[in-house]
Amino acid sequence: MPELLKGFEKDNPDVTVEVTPIPWDSAHDKFTSAIAAGTAPDVAQVGSTWMAEFVSLDALEPTPENIATDDYFPGALESVTVEETVYGVPWYVETRVVFYRKDIAEEVGITEPPTDWEGLFEMARAMQGGPEGEWGIALQPGGDGSWQTVLPLFWSNGGDVVTEAGDEFTFASAENEEALAYYQSYFTEGVSDPAPPEGATEQDFVSGAVPMFISGPWMMAAVESVGGEGFADKYGVFVMPEKETSASFLGGANIGVFQGSQNRDAAWKLIEHLSRPEVQVAWFEQVGDLPALQSAWEDEAVASNEKFEVFHTQLGNAFAPPTIATWEQVAAKLDAQIEQVCKQDLDPAAALESVQSDAQGIGTGA
Amino acid sequence: MTTPSASATASPSPPGPGPGSSSAPARRRGHRAAAEARAGLLLSLPFVLLFAVFIAWPVLQSMFMSFTDMRISDIRSPFAVDFVGLDNYIAAFEDPVFRRSAVNTGVFVLIGVPLTITAGLAAALALDRGVTRLRGVFRVGFYTPVVTSIVAVAVVWRFLLRPDNGLVNTVLGWVGIDGPNWLGDERTALLSLIVMAVWRNFGTSMVIFLAGLQAVDQQLHEAAALDGASAWQRFLNVTLPSIRPTMLFVMVTTSIGYLQFFEEPFVMTQGGPLHATISASMYTYNQFGFGNYGVAGAMAYLTFIVIGIVTLAQFRLMREK
Repeated sequence: MPELLKGFEKDNPDVTVEVTPIPWDSAHDKFTSAIAAGTAPDVAQVGSTWMAEFVSLDALEPTPENIATDDYFPGALESVTVEETVYGVPWYVETRVVFYRKDIAEEVGITEPPTDWEGLFEMARAMQGGPEGEWGIALQPGGDGSWQTVLPLFWSNGGDVVTEAGDEFTFASAENEEALAYYQSYFTEGVSDPAPPEGATEQDFVSGAVPMFISGPWMMAAVESVGGEGFADKYGVFVMPEKETSASFLGGANIGVFQGSQNRDAAWKLIEHLSRPEVQVAWFEQVGDLPALQSAWEDEAVASNEKFEVFHTQLGNAFAPPTIATWEQVAAKLDAQIEQVCKQDLDPAAALESVQSDAQGIGTGA
Repeated sequence: MTTPSASATASPSPPGPGPGSSSAPARRRGHRAAAEARAGLLLSLPFVLLFAVFIAWPVLQSMFMSFTDMRISDIRSPFAVDFVGLDNYIAAFEDPVFRRSAVNTGVFVLIGVPLTITAGLAAALALDRGVTRLRGVFRVGFYTPVVTSIVAVAVVWRFLLRPDNGLVNTVLGWVGIDGPNWLGDERTALLSLIVMAVWRNFGTSMVIFLAGLQAVDQQLHEAAALDGASAWQRFLNVTLPSIRPTMLFVMVTTSIGYLQFFEEPFVMTQGGPLHATISASMYTYNQFGFGNYGVAGAMAYLTFIVIGIVTLAQFRLMREK
């Protein structure tokens, strides 16, 4: 980060920037206590799912007019928008695509990645029969964060979990039910492991035991480091299969200015600096986080890897979870129901009804 | 709460001597006692202050919180929240996941506490009499898990319990048993955590039992042996009664520890699968995380009440015997 600030400090000699790294696990608690105590920093990197909560605490400043927001990926811009007001700007993005073993796919006669739901299922089943193939595809059978894989299926089928205005929950719908039933079929048909060992995705992918999974860009480095030299050529990625559309989860982090900042103007100047394409590319080269600005993707450093190109395509069709203050709590209820659907054959319709009533009890926090 | 300076000067003149003690030495003793009392007060003030600010006040505040609908958004104006009476307590009882977490905690206590105490006592007895030369090695060995970071422990145990190539299932495989996915199967997950917790905690009770055993009067043992008592009879009739206070202490502290069961599920299973390992304190923690301070406060007080009852019952039980 200090590297990126050199240019900024040169242009603004009167401003000193102090950078405090916080581990991601404890960042949320740190911020909420800092907000409560009135000691929040001027500028901070905020997880995309925390935006609504912080806005409901009156903690973030709306983005001023002079900062352009038209070049961000639509999903990323959505993640900084709470009730039609934009707070802060997107900083980096990530989205999920399907990883698969090219070599194993070829052995079972698949040369073209599938494009629809049925195709993905058939491919996973075919790969399962391949050499060493134990399971077809690694999917999370519920538990923490499984909503991140299931929500895109809802979207892909034209469903959603909140109304357009974001004031009511819409879990129980025919579209969502169909999507959840599709997810369930991977477990009932024995294509996915209903009780996978934790943290074994990389090894199982490299060994071929589980030749497919759905995840984000950080997994590229992870599987390549386990797979060793040449492994990069053995696997490929493709965008999420379509039902009505191809939809994926959009995550990442945003940067925002806290209310009560003593250095308001300098803070927004800093954000303006950080949201220049060249700075975003420099950050990408340093740590591999994908730029939130579309124009940054034209840079050679990003565009040269064809796998990133797949992420780029997917980013055009990736959505952030609803920006409501209680989302984390509602998502935990959804996770628990997904688990019962995958492990205990709970009827998807019943599961969604249950989430719907839980979510209504929790409210949107508005 | 008085400020330090105020209470230090609160008694400028020491209390006069009581009636019937007008002699000079007595008065001087009175002076000295008052001065000592003042010094004592002054010395204990930092503790009293810290206790009041960091323990007593938050405890009262959280009790207040448990009767209100306080949420994270009320954090800057804690007294602007609405009083809701026992609603949060009722909500906790009606929450199926909280009920499940209470059952899990109960199972954990009922199996874990006796196992931990038995293992601790057995190890202490063995070390008290066992081979002299290796005693130190074993003491350190049994105590090491207690002082090891839970995160380091978790990594190793997860590795041991892995379904495909973990050590436990590999060994079971040698004798022809197809081991389960210990942490991933809801029938074995809680059990696995109990075993791990017992392994991690019995060292503490062992150390305390060792100290208790060393205080047992050896003459009683010798006398009982002369009367022809077997080793088992001597253990039942001499050792156990002699260490009863130690036993009570270990029982109470171990039970409290297990009732607050948190770290193991937090790092190993996150409460899953299917809520099989979620504990009352972990669920309370989650509610805090979601910003539901009122409900979380009520849950914390429910745990506190249960701990109080269990502790009282143990005191009763041990006294009557």
